[in-house]
Formats: sequence, C-alpha cells, structure tokens
Amino acid sequence: MTGTPALELRSVHRTYGFGPSATIALDDVGLTVPAGRFVSLIGPSGCGKSTLLRIAAGLEEPDHGEIRLHGVPPARACAAKMIGLVPQSPALLPWLSVLKNVTLPHRINKRAARRRERITGSGERTTNAPDMRQLLVKAGLGEAMDKLPAELSGGMRQRAAIVRAFGLRPDVLVMDEPFSALDEFTRESLQDQLLDLWDELKTTVLFVTHSVSEAVRLSDTVVVMAPRPGRIVDTIEIDLPRPRNDRLFAERRFHEYEDLVRDRLHSAWHREAA
Amino acid sequence: MSGVREVGEVSEMTVVDARTEHATVGRPPVEPSRYSLRHPRSRIAWVRPAIWAPFVLMVAVLALLWHWGAEKLPYLLPPLSDIGHSLSSDLGYYTGNAMVTLGEATAGLATGFAAAFVLAVLTSELPPLRRAVMPIAVVLNVTPLVAIAPALVVAFGFGPTPKLVIAALICFFPIFINVSAGLRSVPQQVLQVYRTIDASRAELLWHVRVPNALPYLFAALRIVFPLSIVGAVVAEMSAAGSARGLGTAISVASSMNQLPVVYASIAVLAVMGVLLLLAVTLVERRVLHWHDSAHD
Repeated sequence: MTGTPALELRSVHRTYGFGPSATIALDDVGLTVPAGRFVSLIGPSGCGKSTLLRIAAGLEEPDHGEIRLHGVPPARACAAKMIGLVPQSPALLPWLSVLKNVTLPHRINKRAARRRERITGSGERTTNAPDMRQLLVKAGLGEAMDKLPAELSGGMRQRAAIVRAFGLRPDVLVMDEPFSALDEFTRESLQDQLLDLWDELKTTVLFVTHSVSEAVRLSDTVVVMAPRPGRIVDTIEIDLPRPRNDRLFAERRFHEYEDLVRDRLHSAWHREAA
Repeated sequence: MSGVREVGEVSEMTVVDARTEHATVGRPPVEPSRYSLRHPRSRIAWVRPAIWAPFVLMVAVLALLWHWGAEKLPYLLPPLSDIGHSLSSDLGYYTGNAMVTLGEATAGLATGFAAAFVLAVLTSELPPLRRAVMPIAVVLNVTPLVAIAPALVVAFGFGPTPKLVIAALICFFPIFINVSAGLRSVPQQVLQVYRTIDASRAELLWHVRVPNALPYLFAALRIVFPLSIVGAVVAEMSAAGSARGLGTAISVASSMNQLPVVYASIAVLAVMGVLLLLAVTLVERRVLHWHDSAHD
C-alpha cells in the first residue's frame, strides 16, 4: 500500500459556536502525509492545530471535508487500532503498574487485528506482539516497570505514555504537545528517546507543538498554521541528516531552519494584524 | 540507591533526581518520601506521650464530668459503674441484641450497596435513565427516613424486613451519588486514549470507569457503614412490638426508667460503629493502596 498516503485531509472545515461569536477553528485545510514521515504542526494558540489533530485521530468530526488514514476514515482506523495517541498529560491509570498500563491497550478491542490486516494488507505488524518489557527497557523504564505512575517523575510518566502508544505499532502516531508540561532538560532527553523509538518503528507521526526548535529537531516536515481563521500558511521540509543528536544544535543549518519557521510564523501573525 | 536510607537524606535526593532527570535514565526512581517515611513514623507515633496524652486526658475529664453529673442529677445520667455492672452481668443480653442489630444493618447495607452500585453503572451509561432517576434519588435523600419507618413496619410487620429496608434506603443515596461521580470523573485525556483504540463501553467500564470510582465508593462506605446501624436502630424503635435488637432494648429500658441499660446499649452501638469504620478503613488501605487517601 505504498501509494496510499498515511494521512490525507481534504478541505476540512470546523467551526465552534454559532452566529457572530463563532470561531473558525479550521478553514479549508488540506494536508497529505506520506507513510513514515514525521510531521509537526506549529502555530500560535487558536490556530486549530489541536483541532486538526483531534479530527485526524477520530476524536472529533469536521463540519465538512474528508479525512483518510491509509485510505480509510478515522472511525475505521480507530476500530482497527491503527492510531496511537499521546495526549498532553500522560493519562496513565493510577491503579495500574507501568507495565500493566502499557499492556492494557493490547487486551482491549482484540478484534482490531483482523480489521487492520484487511486495511493495511499486512498482518506482519500485528502478529508478533511487541515485547512491551523490552520497549520499556529501551525507554529507560526497565526499573520502573512494576511501579505505580504516582511513584514516577513527570518525565518518566510521559515516557510510559509514549511507550503505550508505540506498543500498538500504530500506522499513525498522534502526539498533542506531549512535552509541554516538562522542564527543558527532561524535554530534550525525551525528544532523543522519541527519535530513537521512531527510528526503530518508522511509523507516521503527527506531532503538535508550540516550540520551534522542537519542531525543527524532530520533523521531516513542519506545517506552519495561523489563527482566525485556523489555516495552514506554509509547509517547510526540514532537510537535516538523521540521526539527529545533540551535535545538531551546534549546526548552522539547524538554526537557519529555526529562523525560517519563526519568520513564517511572524509574517502570518503580522498579515493578520494588518 | 539501596533500600535502606537515612530519613533526612531521602527528601534531599528526591530534589537532586528531579533536576537531573535526563541523566538518570535506567536508574530506579527515588520513591516519593511518603513510602519511606510515613510508615515507620506512624508506628512509633503511639509511643510518644505527646500523641496519646491529650486524648487520654480528655476521656478522663469527660468521665469525671459524667460522674459528677450522675451524682447531682440521677435522672440525667446513670453512674458509670452501674453501666459497667449492667454490661458485665448481662453480657449475653447485649451481644445477642447487638448481633441482631448488626445483622439487620449489614444485610441492609449489602442490599443498598448492590442496588446503588448497579443503578449508578446503569445511569452513567444511559443518560436518559440518569435524568429519570436522579431527581427521585434526591427526593428520597431529603425525605426523613425516620418518618417512613412506621409505615414500613405496617407494610412488612415486626420481623427483620422493615429494618433491612430502612438500613438499605439510608445507605443507598451516598453510595449512588459517589459511585456515579466516580464513574463519570475519568479524565478526558484518558478517555481519548482509549477511544482512539475503539474500546467498547464494557471494556471502558471494566478497565477504567469502575476502578476510577473505587476511591469514591470507599468515601461513601465510610459514611454508610455507621449509617446502616442508625437505620436498623431507628426501624427497631419504630416497631413497638419487635422483640430483639439494641434499638428495642433501648426503647424498652427507657420506658422502664432503666437508665444504665439504655446507656450500656448506646455504648455497645458506639463500639459497633467504631468497629465497622475500622473494617472499612482496613479494606480501603488494601484496595486503594495506589490512591493518596491510603497514605493519610
């Protein structure tokens, strides 16, 4: 199924409220993401990036427009467990150990495997259930496996949430500002680990952020959005080598990309103000 | 990072680890201080007079006041020694009646609990049912159950049934309201995670909503366990012809001016209430070991 894009949105509209107080969260948004790409959505608050993400993940319906994940609408993708969600907070269940938290999704909706085979055409990904213990060790949670979420630091909890989503081997991984509540050191270490895991599983990622350097560091493509009405103003391909490690920060090209994204955000902002 | 640590050291190390989080990958996290500190401290707490002395002093003062009051006004309070004598000489009478009352209370509690829990689950899953049931439940709650008791005695006779019904009714509302709140208070982002993998309502209920409601349930049980005794006693007192139970014992004894028996029965009821509360607390610590309330 190489020809079908992992994610495709066509003229998606979403308005909140009625009459004069209505806000247009998304106005005629179109986006095509080929499989295996890491795409970030960036923009000021109110630009509809989170709405776009929720619509892509099947958590919200658009007013009109079309959404396809590997050729199927979000509801079918959810039913086939093709989507992994990492929300802003870790959203772990406080009564389950870390290991049980990350394995619970495997015990839910077991019929999804067959549906997924029919859609993506390969049962390969789902037949060998990933060894969650191994994945936890890889994420640095080997010692924390049997602990309760309350016994972990914020960074470790968010890592557990990422492992939970990766463990599904999702066709599309959807992340909604997953690092925004963390301190800078923790955030950078988690970005590293996210890239490590992603490198291994090569899934398509839709990543919402409001940090320019985070977007440039992680992504293949940065989608710049602007508010009132929420829309896509630019799409910037980040042509930096991978793996991207700490040395990247010292590189001039990294900062050029940062400046470029910042510049596009500003010009969208000023055009609106004018 | 061994298991044995100095008390003062722990909190300091927690701070250090939080700051250098990125460097501690793969190392065991420092346990929050409550796990290492609270238990040893609470165990030694009862050795220190500063902890128990105020309570003992208060009891002594109350006993003195009681003694003084009983001497001045014999019809206000019986002497404590008479109560003790009545308790020790008729122990079988009190325990026998206590078991009757306890049986009615726990049977009512079990009934009320089952009804409230099932209805809470149903109403949380079916909003129209919730809108139908909730107003009735609220009206039931504000109706003084003492007023219903005589009518139930007329309806069900002097046997255990009206006592069970009153105890069940009194237990129903707190459990129903709390469990309903617990089932519906799952954080939005948790629900979103499980919605993206298309978890069924039954799966969501079993794996997420019901465990989430457990702390709420136990908060209700702490209220309702002692309340169930209130229900049973009220029903016993309303049924003029009933023969057994501490409520009956109290109304019979007070009609014959046997104040020591009245207060001995009241003391037994109080002890029963304390024991029930203790039982709930023990079970709660077991079941809710993951919840903050278990560490208070």
